[in-house]
Amino acid sequence: MRELIKRADGRVTASMLVMGLGQLLYRQWAKGIMYLAVQAGYIIYLVTVGARDLFGFFTLGSVESNPWYGIEGDNSVIMLIMGVLAIIVTVLYILVYISNIKDVYATQKRVEAGGRPKLFREELAELLDAKFYRTVLFVPILGVCVFNILPVVFMILVAFTNYGGDIVPPALVDWVGFENFKKILALGEFAPTFFKILGWNFLWAILSTAINYFGGLSLALLLNKKCVRGKVFWRAFPILAYAIPGFITLLGFKFMFSYGGPINHYITEAGRQAVGFLDLDAKWSARVIGLLVNAWISIPSSMLLATGILSNAEQSQYEAARLDGAGAFQQFRHLTLPFVVFSTTPVLISQFIGNFNNFGIFYFLRGGLYIDGYFLASDTDLLINWLYNLSIDNNYYAIGAAISLIIFIITSVISLAVYVSSPAYRQEETYK
Amino acid sequence: MTRNITALVAHALIIAVLLTALGVGSLARDDAQGQTKFTGELERNVTLRILENDTAKEKGYFKELLDAFNAAYAEYGIVAVDANMDQYTDLEQDGPYGYGPDVLYQANDALMKYTDGKHIQPLPVEKLECYEQISQQAWDAYTVEYDGEEYVFGVPVNIQGPLLYYRKDLLPEGWQENWDREGDGVPDMVEYWTELYAYSRLLREESGGAKLGYMKSLFDPYFSSGFLFSYGGYVFGEGGTDTGDIGFSAGEARKGARVLRQLASAMNQDCIDDTVTVNAYSMLANGTYFATMTTPDVYTLFIDELAKEYMRTDGLDEADAYARAEENLVAADIPKLPASGDLEDRTGETVESVMMGGINGYAISAYTRAPNAALAFVDFATGYEMISRRNELLGIAPAREDVAEKVGGLSETINADLDAGRIAVMPSTRAVAQIWTPTQTFFSDLAKDPFRLPEEQKYLSLDELQRGLENVDAQIYSAIHTLN
Repeated sequence: MRELIKRADGRVTASMLVMGLGQLLYRQWAKGIMYLAVQAGYIIYLVTVGARDLFGFFTLGSVESNPWYGIEGDNSVIMLIMGVLAIIVTVLYILVYISNIKDVYATQKRVEAGGRPKLFREELAELLDAKFYRTVLFVPILGVCVFNILPVVFMILVAFTNYGGDIVPPALVDWVGFENFKKILALGEFAPTFFKILGWNFLWAILSTAINYFGGLSLALLLNKKCVRGKVFWRAFPILAYAIPGFITLLGFKFMFSYGGPINHYITEAGRQAVGFLDLDAKWSARVIGLLVNAWISIPSSMLLATGILSNAEQSQYEAARLDGAGAFQQFRHLTLPFVVFSTTPVLISQFIGNFNNFGIFYFLRGGLYIDGYFLASDTDLLINWLYNLSIDNNYYAIGAAISLIIFIITSVISLAVYVSSPAYRQEETYK
Repeated sequence: MTRNITALVAHALIIAVLLTALGVGSLARDDAQGQTKFTGELERNVTLRILENDTAKEKGYFKELLDAFNAAYAEYGIVAVDANMDQYTDLEQDGPYGYGPDVLYQANDALMKYTDGKHIQPLPVEKLECYEQISQQAWDAYTVEYDGEEYVFGVPVNIQGPLLYYRKDLLPEGWQENWDREGDGVPDMVEYWTELYAYSRLLREESGGAKLGYMKSLFDPYFSSGFLFSYGGYVFGEGGTDTGDIGFSAGEARKGARVLRQLASAMNQDCIDDTVTVNAYSMLANGTYFATMTTPDVYTLFIDELAKEYMRTDGLDEADAYARAEENLVAADIPKLPASGDLEDRTGETVESVMMGGINGYAISAYTRAPNAALAFVDFATGYEMISRRNELLGIAPAREDVAEKVGGLSETINADLDAGRIAVMPSTRAVAQIWTPTQTFFSDLAKDPFRLPEEQKYLSLDELQRGLENVDAQIYSAIHTLN
């Protein structure tokens, strides 16, 4: 860029001042007009809504609505979203501005080297050939900005406001800095709950991922055995469990383990007292039931995945291992496991993330309890359940957003760390 | 180089100046002046989206109401339609963005949570035909004071309060001699909790647990809180408005908690979770349960189930089965409680039961574009004819006293309960949403207590019960105030 500023001629300077002017001076009419149109469009956007939206992002409104008398005021939440959109538009404008300067400077160098400015149709042809990736990625990137980045940024920003509780539109929302994070980590009743749930959440995610993964793999290996007859029939059973909607399964299990359910029916028929498998005293039995029910729902998909991968296993390696005297466990330990883990590391990570954020299991099995020592949560709730209790049941959106951000940071750090250190990433060529 | 830097800075400055000038300009606002919305002049050619409850739709009442209103207001071009939204739709989420119904039918606590955010409109209720016919207690559920002035935000339609449902044909032989000490023709076990408790224990002992007396899912705060209220407990202080004063442990509420624990001991473990709620219709019908407590709007469901049972077991035809079901299923007032708070005390003083209730009604969204037409709809829907019809089809207890008086029975009983303070109406504040889970957890814990091993039981003394209730108050206080 330093070189550009040093060596740029008058045409480039013209484009620095007014977008597209340099291109027009090089008689690149179509491109010059397009750049000029972008600048004009941005100025029109600023005049109509852009400047207001950008300022609104910082103030989040100053006049409260009063729907009783039809007085329209500011809606802080809308202002926040529109403000983020205005920032995205401004960033895109800056990128186009830079590309405008680079483009005209490239033309300057081309001319200095004895060439001529490219014709518009030549540049169009490039967009369909050497720069085709830009053409096809333009619309998806725009979509990602609006439909992915905007909501994520919005959620992150909400964590820094006081949105929620009594402060919901038409009341005006304000920026509060790191106040919500301080509450999570320092507030007397809040912090212990956060750390207790976080600890259980990690344990849950690790155990459930391991159970589901190895359960699926074991089932796949078992059904891969030559001695098993009617494999298609046996494989159909787990698929049935997989095909039934998860929450139906969960409600079914909740009923099974309830006081009036069939399990307690047989227990009382046998002359014993009914067991509260999921009631408020049932911390560990409820957790274990949660793990088993999750295994019931998730093992079939792991089994299908492992079955597919095992069908590609190199049989000659097993043959050689057998000739070298390797037993079944050694073959599993040194051949099957590395091969399957190598192929499924990304899936394993996504399963871990899915389990870390598994909302349904304990919401359906044991929702609606606040246990002593927990703030608006129970001892089986995961962070995602607590997030739901806070943000949906109790309207604490800002605190909910702060917890979401923490979950996001935890899961993304773990996923990246595991993936980067996995053979699937470090030894990409192993099985090619 | 200087020239280029100047050009870059100039471009940035132009944009920045433009941005600042326009941005600062956008902050300047005219002081808008509001106007009252209810001018009395009907908006013409408008469509009103009405949110009604699912039962009104299922039983055909809502269609009748819409047809009748649309015919009456056809000359103004006003058309009322089903809002086609979930009956628990959240106006706070939708209203400010231009969605949501124009008129809402919900319970008072659900509607009144919208007042702080000004999502529902204060109404000139004195202009409505029903105004004089509805008791002050019912209007109070929809009245809030702002800046020293009282505003009414809803029009009461029906009163929800629990009733005791029992099977007359399951009363013991010769109950008139053994279970009617006053000789008033009302069985003692549906007049006094002490007797219902004694009868429940007797039934369970005699049948080895196959037959049960009173059964209820005790974790449900809607039905269990009343036992605390009967001994001085309350939800929020200052008539339900002071959320800093939470009163589930107030007065001698612990006695109510002891009553609940004793009742649980006469049931089985199904009372801990929602098993009884799910099974009550069939269990009352097949005679496993003698009595349960629930709201008047499910009366027809009990009748249907009992009639089916008579058809199945006694081979009655449909008409006879229904006639017999209506004769044998009795919905009665809630029994009296012992003043001592001990269900073993069958001879001591008694106190009236105070049960949690609610008042369902209509409110108008503050975002409606046709407030006068919406008010006309509310006036029409709360008129004598429509409320009578609502009672006929849905079995609700009308808030209009003239209709209640005419239909008598349960409707009159519930109105009388409300007037006499035997129904504690749920507070009309959004903070009420925070009471359910802490109370549900406590009642569930309490219901489980008699089934724990003796050394694990937590609530054996009144002091222990008091501590449990104080913990509930503290949890609710935290939920409301810690993060606000």
